[in-house]
Amino acid sequence: MSSSEPPQIIPARVQALMLSRHMAFVCAALTIAVLPLVFTDTYWRTICTVCALNVALAIGLDFVLGYAGQLNLGQSAFYGLGAYASTLLVTKLGIPFWVALTGAIALSCLAGAVLALFAVRLRGHYLAIASLGFAVITYQILLNWISLTQGPLGIYAIPPPPAIVLPGLPAIDFHNLGNLFYLVAAFALLSYRLLDQLVRSPIGEALIAIREDEVSAASLGINCGVWKVFAFAVSSGIAGAAGCLYASVVGTLVPDAFFVTESFTILAMVVVGGTGTLVGPIYGAILLTVLPEFLRGIGDLRLLIYGIALTLVVFFMPGGIIQAARLASGLLQRLALRRTAR
Amino acid sequence: MTVVLQQGINGVVLGSLYVLVALGLTLVYGVLMQINFAHADIVTLGAFCAYFFTERLGGDYLQGIAVAFVLGAMLGWAMNAAIFAPLREGGSELLPLIATIGVSITMENAMLAWFGPIPYAFDSPYSNDVIRLGAAYITVQNALIIAVSLVTIGLLYAFMKFTLLGKALRAVAQDRETAGLMGIDPNQLVMLTFVIASALAGMAGAMLGPVLVLTPFAGTSVIVKAFAIVIIGGFGNFEGTILGGLLVGLIESYTTQYLGPGMIDIVVFTLLLMMLAVRPTGLIAEKRDENV
Repeated sequence: MSSSEPPQIIPARVQALMLSRHMAFVCAALTIAVLPLVFTDTYWRTICTVCALNVALAIGLDFVLGYAGQLNLGQSAFYGLGAYASTLLVTKLGIPFWVALTGAIALSCLAGAVLALFAVRLRGHYLAIASLGFAVITYQILLNWISLTQGPLGIYAIPPPPAIVLPGLPAIDFHNLGNLFYLVAAFALLSYRLLDQLVRSPIGEALIAIREDEVSAASLGINCGVWKVFAFAVSSGIAGAAGCLYASVVGTLVPDAFFVTESFTILAMVVVGGTGTLVGPIYGAILLTVLPEFLRGIGDLRLLIYGIALTLVVFFMPGGIIQAARLASGLLQRLALRRTAR
Repeated sequence: MTVVLQQGINGVVLGSLYVLVALGLTLVYGVLMQINFAHADIVTLGAFCAYFFTERLGGDYLQGIAVAFVLGAMLGWAMNAAIFAPLREGGSELLPLIATIGVSITMENAMLAWFGPIPYAFDSPYSNDVIRLGAAYITVQNALIIAVSLVTIGLLYAFMKFTLLGKALRAVAQDRETAGLMGIDPNQLVMLTFVIASALAGMAGAMLGPVLVLTPFAGTSVIVKAFAIVIIGGFGNFEGTILGGLLVGLIESYTTQYLGPGMIDIVVFTLLLMMLAVRPTGLIAEKRDENV
């Protein structure tokens, strides 16, 4: 029977594309490996680490916003939940870091699924406000449950993850910022890999169908509710893990780090990079993390830059950096063609 | 008993200001199906405008409210002309929303760079005089807030119900295309809605100034509650918004009294989420189900 089926032929272009995907992945891994060797000072190593965290947050949000088409303004809540849950598990109950990380991810996934139960019934603006409300409630709980979170005083001196000891190798100590960067970057890379696989699987197709037209998607037998809950859970799980790592990187936790504004900054990274592509938000996150550092001389204009970038992108380049890059490469190709024709 | 009455009065004062802010949001949603995050910054600018007019220029507080009203109207015109009108053609639901978030962040931080993060002490000349109502007291400032809000809401209601222009506005809110076929220019009416909504926000800001901690972020704390009110009352629903606003004002003052000020947002937004789960059409249901 199997001989009667046409042989699977992969066209040369697709093959080249797949090769370039792997190449890009290897390049990303190499860049990550080299970065701490290039930047040896604490300042730039910290910025690199924050970049990696923001990349994970941005691609996580893009999964639910760009692919499933659900405007979620509650990402700051999951980020904060992950950070506080893991830190409290480690400092109050003495649970090992890696177990606490798993716990933080599970809790954020659960919270995301609960919020998604609203998303199943709501759309567009209603969901935006419901998720905003969720973020406000979480922030206020972190701020006011003083016996647990120490409220506005914050939690200080959070230890970095314990050293990993592998037999036959020197121990990986996370007091070293370079190693901490490797940990966070590895997490970002892993998240990217996971989301990339999901997006290019039938699940990704189902999510895009839901984004484009929920009624049509349902008529094709896609269970919209289940997949929305799934998208929210994955997205908030990544945010929760990022929160856990954030606590270890920064060493202090205050509720203000997880105010609603944080949701907007993550949103800005996704939109500036290009919604509905996984690569775009990576560039968006890096650009919006590094750019304000160069402009620090003028004053603390970080959020002003985010606001202006967000507004300009929506007006002039709704596809973000990715759209700009495609336009530029198209232009270059046309120029090259004209030259060869001549 | 006195405490209950006193907090009830405070709740109505806050509630009537929230109603002014939320009515603007709901009016705009009615004609455009868009929510405007930058509405918050018009409230803040209204408060700063009244502050500078009275404290720095030595103007009268009542005139300050009028100036904030006019400033709000101009900002509303500018915002519609610059943001909503160009993006309306795109047809996307989320892009204009994201644009207003961008504009709001920009305005907030521009104000932060300009006015600084330290709260301004904005004392209304009417804050110190009190009127005795049986066992409870009300400051002249609060009586003024209630009176101005009542008159404004009444005028707006009359305008919407009894004038030809108000009728046209309601027609556009119900069905923009059909209204266009009846000879109404929807674009002009959208502009009018924006101007009215923003003028109300500016005015509310001028009256909120002495009540709130006046910083560049003052409007944000109000706007998240206004969003909750709009949903509790039913998006685009006039009467529901008034009811929702007073309800949230009362919840806020009683929560402050009995549970502590930290619980306000938790109570309000838990109510909002419950409302969304049980009755997403709002307190007063309307036939509008695109979003639920």
